[in-house]
Amino acid sequence: MHTILFVDDEPVSTEALRLLLEAKGFDCVSLTDMSAAMDFLRQWEVSVLVSDIMMPSGDAFPEIDSSETGLHFMLMVREQFPEVRVICLSVIGDQTKILKLKRQGALYLRKGETTLDTAARLIESKATGNTNY
Amino acid sequence: MNENELTALRDENKKLKSELAEVNAVTNQYLQNVAHQLTAPLGAIKWSIEGLRDERVPLSRKNNLLRSIYSQATILVHLIKNFALMSNLEADYELGQFREKPEPIDVMKLAINLANDFQPQGLEAGLKVIVDSDSFHKIFANQRLWIEKNLVAQAMSNILENAVKYADLKSTINVSVRADSKIVGIMIDSKGIPISDQEKAHIFERRFRGTAARQKVAAGTGIGLYLASRVMQFHGGSVAVETQGRLSRFILIFPRDRLK
Repeated sequence: MHTILFVDDEPVSTEALRLLLEAKGFDCVSLTDMSAAMDFLRQWEVSVLVSDIMMPSGDAFPEIDSSETGLHFMLMVREQFPEVRVICLSVIGDQTKILKLKRQGALYLRKGETTLDTAARLIESKATGNTNY
Repeated sequence: MNENELTALRDENKKLKSELAEVNAVTNQYLQNVAHQLTAPLGAIKWSIEGLRDERVPLSRKNNLLRSIYSQATILVHLIKNFALMSNLEADYELGQFREKPEPIDVMKLAINLANDFQPQGLEAGLKVIVDSDSFHKIFANQRLWIEKNLVAQAMSNILENAVKYADLKSTINVSVRADSKIVGIMIDSKGIPISDQEKAHIFERRFRGTAARQKVAAGTGIGLYLASRVMQFHGGSVAVETQGRLSRFILIFPRDRLK
């Protein structure tokens, strides 16, 4: 079973997406800060990481500003866990930040703009490697 | 104009330009923050509705989505009210034209209604919001507090919202009242992120957010406590904060003569 890790300080914002992915047979885990997520990645196999940008960095990374935690986090995941596919799910509209993320190879989805079904399909295709959706 | 004066003017101009750039950067960041806060609950509501309509999501889980819609809508209403209130209060304050129309209010009922509003949000973190009705009965008996209900409701909501946002998981938020010969104080007690003495000095300033607060909840407008304090000033009172480690107590202080 594929595990999808969601990191968002407001889990309610991804609740519908998680329920739909669970209905499709995925195992979804929701964590609320970068430190907890790094711990989880070290211990468990994760297929896809879906992360917010503005969120707490947690105890292990006190120097990171919460307004761009996700950027640091996704970069760190790329370096330490290159096998994990990364999707950024945020409401942030700052183009420079988005460009930075895309350059890092992350797929960027804006909350509320992508439909629930499309978001679930995109995550599903990233997890299974099946792009034919 | 001699050479020295010209140089001084150039330096001044340079300084002003850099200050303006700094103000613009802060404003942009603030606007982005506000946009984030308005868009996030709307996005959650939209997806929850799509989830409700999706037949693949089991019926047994759909109640969670309804609860999320309710809590996100509450957050939005609260946020928008704050923005509206801020522009009104600022204008009134600048023009010195605030006209108070106090009404006799059952504050216990108000506190219970507000506590109920925040229960769904609290539930997500296993929090309980409890109104100590005994303390209210004891102080108010058959009397009422003469206040502007909507303003005080918003001030109390702002403090409760912070308590819910920054409290430790599975802790309890307690609302009670105390009075002496001069004042009536509505107290909101919670256990959560600590507030330093340095932060206490700035906590009621507009757009101020504490370091630990920003680390726990990334987005915030920084106007909630500022508004609460302004509302209480209009009532001839104030907001006080007392802390001890992770415990914090915010007190809405009214002059005793409002109790009639």
